[in-house]
Amino acid sequence: MVETGRRKFDKSASLKLAALAVALVLPILPFTSEYLIHVCILIFLYMVLALGLNVVPGFNGLLDLGYVGFYGIGAYTAGLLTVNFGLSYWLIMPLAAINGAIWGVLLGAPTLRLTGDYFAIVTFGFSELVVLVITNEIWLTRGPLGLPGIEPVSIDFSWFGGPVWYLEGDTPGVYYLILAMVLLTLFVMTRVQNSRLGRAWFAIRDDELAAVSCGVNLLRYKVIAFAISAAFGALGGSFYARWVSVLSPTDFAFWESFLVLCMIVLGGLGNIWGVLIGATALVSLGEILRVVLPLVGLPMNVRFLFYGLIMVLTMRLRPAGLLPIPAVAERMRIVGARRKKPVAKVFNK
Amino acid sequence: MFIELLLNGLTIGGIYALIAVGYTMVYGVIQLINFAHGEIYMLGAFFALTFLTALHLPFYAAFGLAMLLGALCGVLLDIIAYRPLRNSPRLAALITAIGMSIFLQNLAMIIWGSRPLPFPQNDLPAYFKQPALTVGGAPVSWLQLFIFIITILLMIGLYLIIHKTNTGKAMRAVAQNKTMAALVGVNVNRIITVTFALAGSLGAAAGILVGAYYNSVYPTMGYVAGVKAFAAAVLGGIGSVPGAMLGGVILGVAEAFGAGYISSLYRDGISYAVLIAVIVLIPAGLFGKLSRETKKSL
Repeated sequence: MVETGRRKFDKSASLKLAALAVALVLPILPFTSEYLIHVCILIFLYMVLALGLNVVPGFNGLLDLGYVGFYGIGAYTAGLLTVNFGLSYWLIMPLAAINGAIWGVLLGAPTLRLTGDYFAIVTFGFSELVVLVITNEIWLTRGPLGLPGIEPVSIDFSWFGGPVWYLEGDTPGVYYLILAMVLLTLFVMTRVQNSRLGRAWFAIRDDELAAVSCGVNLLRYKVIAFAISAAFGALGGSFYARWVSVLSPTDFAFWESFLVLCMIVLGGLGNIWGVLIGATALVSLGEILRVVLPLVGLPMNVRFLFYGLIMVLTMRLRPAGLLPIPAVAERMRIVGARRKKPVAKVFNK
Repeated sequence: MFIELLLNGLTIGGIYALIAVGYTMVYGVIQLINFAHGEIYMLGAFFALTFLTALHLPFYAAFGLAMLLGALCGVLLDIIAYRPLRNSPRLAALITAIGMSIFLQNLAMIIWGSRPLPFPQNDLPAYFKQPALTVGGAPVSWLQLFIFIITILLMIGLYLIIHKTNTGKAMRAVAQNKTMAALVGVNVNRIITVTFALAGSLGAAAGILVGAYYNSVYPTMGYVAGVKAFAAAVLGGIGSVPGAMLGGVILGVAEAFGAGYISSLYRDGISYAVLIAVIVLIPAGLFGKLSRETKKSL
């Protein structure tokens, strides 16, 4: 699925173009309801998030359980800058992304030297700490009361006498904004994956030892990956803040990390097109369950039962996801070769 | 205040130690962070609660049965979820572990509801609430004493199993080198099953004790406790059973003092901070030996 530099109009390229065309005209079609736009905005938001997360587990083979921490940092950065300083979203967007990236480097630089499972648990601890800080530093974030009154995104022409357009709620304006962000993310990801950076990541993912031998600085490339991933998480968060206009610490619980991870696992680790499919599928499933679960008398949160099941079944039946990348598929299928040495000396005498 | 905090910390620390031992043992034999271990702890509490309220069993019987069921859950978890992935890369097993954790959590939510349930105080032995003794002016209830004693008994039992029985010897062998263990006739899969059963029963016991101590059982209780216990296991050095015991106690005491003297709002944060600090500064923990893989990457 990796696109080569040469543009070939094969089947998959025309499929992608068709999907883009549908996405572009969807809001102006007559049958489109506000609800459909709402769901599409949600799908696009999760596409940005999932594409961002994909950089770490998908491109580098490291499990990141704390993605929602960066999402939360981005959202609160945007929310606080809007509420306290009234900055324009076009300024806040890069600021939030940069803030996310800074935290990514701060967390990643000391911890990315560790092997995968330690790293996973550190990221988890980090995201829990972020939620604790948001909950408890009431002077800054208003804690559990939530941060209300975040203005919607506006396009301001008033400085040369034009109108001010507010993009709020589930309207086509917001829809096109987040669609543009998806396209931007997609552009960055496709470019990065074919660049020197991407090749270094894939080398790390497929065989760390070989990568080191070829002169890839493991720590440096992993930190870059983590920072980029964090930046896109924060970017998604900044959009979320201006879209829903009220933030609360509970929006950034571990569930969100898990949901985004589930999307990329289902879609195919490392495959950006698979990740898009995963985001679409799981957001849609969530909306279906929102209708079905109350019918059978279950609380909404139980939908994660299905996400958990999807994750377990994907790993068992199709470990490289719906749209597998050959390298990942091969690595996931390795039997017996990888872990033949005892790793720890246990049960001290 | 100091003595009270210390006693409280030791009580909770003992419980963390029980869970942490489960993490460390499983990590020792199959090098997998069993994220779903916290869920077995939660299920243990719910099992005991159900036995007490629905079947009106005496507390000790409910305790024993719930531990047995916890062991069964651990074994089933291994057979259903982890065994098929034994030879897959670590990422696949980790993702499965998280998936199972979330799955079990929500299953419990479906079965028992998402609201915290009180532990039926009337079905607990009546003497639990009475003060047993006073230490430095601070009263210790029988329940606290019971938790201490059970924790210590379970730890001694575990030590005896690991060091004095053939199964324990086989477990240590599997942890050191699976291939060699298999060559000298150890049934590796059986030993892994035994490990999961031991870990599961200890986790369930911890869940019951916490349920009785805090008088509240809820489906998401396993997730915070699981991470804290994992922090304890890392602090002690993952793979080392005595390390996990000590790590649990240290973490419990640190948390109690942190909550008492610094800020009770950041009670959970202390564990996370300890976890990150230990992993960054001394990844081998207090007693652990770094795996060759980890050492290479440092």
